[in-house]
Amino acid sequence: MKRTKLYLSFLKTRRFRAAAIALALFATVGALHADETCSSPYLARIEGQEEFVYVWTLGDEGVGDGSDKLVTIDVKPGSTNYGKIIHSHSVGGRHEAHHGGFTDDRRQLWLCGLETSKIFIFDVHTEPAKPRYVKTIADFEKVTGGAVGPHGVYALPGRVLVPCLSNAKDHGGRTALVEFNNEGDYIATHWLPTKETPGIAGAEFADGYCYDARVLPRKNVLLTTSFTGWKNYTRDFGDLAKDANAMKEFGNSMTIWNFHTRQPTKVFQVPGTPLEIRWAWGETHNYAFTASALTSKLWLCYEDSAGEWQVKEVARIGPEGGVLPADISLSADDKTLFVDCFGDGKVRVFDVSAPHHPNQIYERIIGRQLNMVSQSWDGKRLYFSSSLLAHWDKSGKDNEQFVRAYKWDGKELTPAFALDFTALKLGRPHHMLFGSTKIGG
Amino acid sequence: MRPIVLILVFLAACSWATDLERSAEHDYNAPPAGTYKLPVVKPAADGEVLDSSGHALRLRELTRGRITVMSFIYTRCAAPKACPMATGVLLQLRRASERDAALAKALRLVSISFDPAADTPERMAAYSALADTGVPGAEWRFLTSASQEKLKPILDAYGQAVDRRENSLNPAGPLNHVLRVFLIDRDGNIRNIYSSSTLDIRLVLADIKTLLAEQTE
Repeated sequence: MKRTKLYLSFLKTRRFRAAAIALALFATVGALHADETCSSPYLARIEGQEEFVYVWTLGDEGVGDGSDKLVTIDVKPGSTNYGKIIHSHSVGGRHEAHHGGFTDDRRQLWLCGLETSKIFIFDVHTEPAKPRYVKTIADFEKVTGGAVGPHGVYALPGRVLVPCLSNAKDHGGRTALVEFNNEGDYIATHWLPTKETPGIAGAEFADGYCYDARVLPRKNVLLTTSFTGWKNYTRDFGDLAKDANAMKEFGNSMTIWNFHTRQPTKVFQVPGTPLEIRWAWGETHNYAFTASALTSKLWLCYEDSAGEWQVKEVARIGPEGGVLPADISLSADDKTLFVDCFGDGKVRVFDVSAPHHPNQIYERIIGRQLNMVSQSWDGKRLYFSSSLLAHWDKSGKDNEQFVRAYKWDGKELTPAFALDFTALKLGRPHHMLFGSTKIGG
Repeated sequence: MRPIVLILVFLAACSWATDLERSAEHDYNAPPAGTYKLPVVKPAADGEVLDSSGHALRLRELTRGRITVMSFIYTRCAAPKACPMATGVLLQLRRASERDAALAKALRLVSISFDPAADTPERMAAYSALADTGVPGAEWRFLTSASQEKLKPILDAYGQAVDRRENSLNPAGPLNHVLRVFLIDRDGNIRNIYSSSTLDIRLVLADIKTLLAEQTE
């Protein structure tokens, strides 16, 4: 009887729980994911290697049908269609196709239009090789109470978080985070803090702008970055760059939020539009990287030894004058950071094993212009795309529009396949997301 | 499933019901109840279900009138951060209600199976018996469905994704699913949805008390 009680007591201990988890993980390790490393931690994972790359592509006048479209590339190993376009679905019209994201069950892919504030929803569960259009959220401005420019879609349990870039009132950078349930019904709008927002540290740095929004669940924190408003991102960049007043209307802040309550707690001054956020994945790695596009710097947001969140500059990206770092991708082991630089078309690779002291270890020209990068979970495959924004892409010969895939061996990139989106009459490829027929829990 | 396996699976759930402290997985302080809003996510859908005695009833009878925490589970699940974790958190809530008469009166717990072929009313009764502490507390109902046809509209409405694994002998269980636990207010509106990353008993309790405070405003 005493032995039984001891046994039952053991079953209730953390040691038992840890053993059970370890056993289950061991049992499933062979099926562990090869998913993209920058996806939401709440997202159901791909088991094995990605089979498809979904590319949210801007329509380009005079190129094919000129409409924004969801393009599907077959990347299944051994497939006779490997590296080829196997499906394309035009949504009709040009909406400034930008970013998208899956619902947490990975059954739907939501794709945002920055200019028209429409969100296009596709079913990627029924037939992952041929995403099916489901519906459009066309009344975004109305239901959200004036937020416009839906930028990304970030999976949360049973709902999505949509960081926006602008507002309907003045089309400036003041904007909000918006939540919808997985059925596409509006839930809530959370406006970014301003200098007048009471009760937050660093309110003097708050500008109300937003770009990316990502969560570190273990610490119950949400981090946001800042870009610029509708009237700037829909304007020709050459023209914009000459307008000193317009150039002042770019975000210079990052904000930490209590994720559960959706309340901002601290604002940091980060000059030069900090864009993509990449939280580290390690169980004790309480930090995230971001890159500021206009100041060409790498920043670290980290929890200090006192439990306070801090932000500091940790590296320059490229030479003096700047290279417009647009996207970053952190490897799943938190050791390697890929930085796409739109300005010179190079990817720069940093060793970030010591996150406070990044060290560039490699660089390679991917194309004449370079925007997004998606990395497989095992760090062996990287996919690059070219388009930044319809009005900001380069012109003439420099306006290359491509998806190029590479293999990474830890030291250098080797080409795997390349697709010319202009020659294929598709448009300007932007965000790339991984799909598969094999999705885990 | 043999009774001993059912017992082991339930005891795995018990291992989650150990404490209410800050942990490495939930390394933060829970927010004080009532200091934040919980907007309506969507209405809690109705459907035809069976209780653990085999009696047919409408799900809406158990998602109205009290604050309800409802968890979709299947009793063959052995994935540590899935059904055993959800049942463990509901067990923690049950225990909390045993020490708080007001909570016991205001709260209802529901475990509903998405594996009706295996989780018969008898199986759910056996599972529920393991949760019976013998101490008065919040009502805890264990439900299943008469068929997949009866179950499907419920799963669709709640967004509970369930697929059969290619390997039915997978040690985590034969079904692949996302973890979904729903917080439902007295009017039958879903006010929060928890997954394995957010299913922190301290947050669930703070949310329940936030809804309670809302009702007294």
